[in-house]
Amino acid sequence: MTGGMSLPPPRHVLGGERVLRVNWLPGSDRLRGRCHCGAEAEGEDPTAMWEWLLAHPDHPAGGPDAPVVPDVLPPPPAHRVSDPAVIRRRTPVLV
Amino acid sequence: MTSIVRDQWYVAAYGREIGRDLFSRTICGESILFWRTEAGRVTAMSDRCVHRRFPLSQAPSHLDGDRVVCGYHGFTYGADGVCVAVPGQTRVPRTARLRSYPVVEQDSFVWVFIGDPDKAGATRIPRAPWLDQEGWTTVSGMEPLKARASLLVDNLMDLSHETYLHGGYIGTPEVADTPITTEVDDEAGIVYVSRHMDDAECPPFYAKSTGIEGRITRWQDIEFTPPCLYKLHSRVAPVGVLPHEDGTDPDAFHVEVVYAITPETERSTHDFWAVARDFALDDESVSDFLRESNRTVVLQDVTALDVLEEVLTGEPDGYQELSINIDTGGLAARRMIARLAEQASGAPAAAAVPAGR
Repeated sequence: MTGGMSLPPPRHVLGGERVLRVNWLPGSDRLRGRCHCGAEAEGEDPTAMWEWLLAHPDHPAGGPDAPVVPDVLPPPPAHRVSDPAVIRRRTPVLV
Repeated sequence: MTSIVRDQWYVAAYGREIGRDLFSRTICGESILFWRTEAGRVTAMSDRCVHRRFPLSQAPSHLDGDRVVCGYHGFTYGADGVCVAVPGQTRVPRTARLRSYPVVEQDSFVWVFIGDPDKAGATRIPRAPWLDQEGWTTVSGMEPLKARASLLVDNLMDLSHETYLHGGYIGTPEVADTPITTEVDDEAGIVYVSRHMDDAECPPFYAKSTGIEGRITRWQDIEFTPPCLYKLHSRVAPVGVLPHEDGTDPDAFHVEVVYAITPETERSTHDFWAVARDFALDDESVSDFLRESNRTVVLQDVTALDVLEEVLTGEPDGYQELSINIDTGGLAARRMIARLAEQASGAPAAAAVPAGR
């Protein structure tokens, strides 16, 4: 064993100015991503997380797990619900 | 569409493999002839005579001082690949020269530049100094892999597979169960994946080589510099034993596991592996054990990846796969390799960034 060897700290190891980081949050299945610009988001899919980070500087609002909103919303399926109060509270069902 | 990244340095051999015998190896689809000059310098040039394509590594081709003589018709080449003699005539055609490759011998490896030789000087050769450094003892080898290089990258970037594929050697339950952190520095060309196990079973690979009995603190820090050099900084110590405040770490065992992932062809790979340690430096039995154990582990990967290559080759393009948290580092490595490939092919680097889902 060599006594003079120094080890990097366990986490932030790379010292560059444009480092992207993804931490798997201990005790969970969640990932937390941090861009070099400071933007942070949580998610559950590593592919989506890298895409979210690589979108710098235009990180999509809502994080990597936010559903893609289609340009045109389909009409809500009103026939499933008859109570007007429920209909007023309801958000459109996205395809 | 090629999967091989050009304009990069690749490990072609260990320095010990190249001597005064003609040595041939296919690197990134190019058959390259290696030999050492009388002064000890490694040279690399095409392994095909310009005349009728006879392999210059094939007997009775031979070295004559610092010249290679083709065994078919006697075309003779210097260490720079230029033809200096042809049979039966005094005029040597001006175009009679072998393609020569930039070569650097470093850290026990022979590195060769594949691509535009003018770009070699400005392209990084990553370092693995432990492999040839005072204070470390190294065992190493190379296994041929009948699978594309990207499968080995996937394999090495996600060590949770140790638990399943290498149980009884280097895998224990804690490897797959411990979360990782991943860092990517595109400018420096590094993907870093860290898995620190505070209280883990000690696998035989480390128990027998270090003599530690009982559970361990086990750190795995992967530093991959795509496309070729992969380093696993492995730290093993009795549970609770940590580096000192000043950064020294005298009470731990350090093992540097180095892989060089060099494409042979689109669908085969040279799997160079080396294990350097900073303990039991002169103990041959530890060297023998680590050499045999690591080779066994590498061959377990080779067996699995050979099968995987066969399966993938037989499937239509665009097959589905699923990625989960353990794949975070592997996905980052794939993306960085794709970016390097696009840079080498002249496409704008920005094209490597996905446009979003």
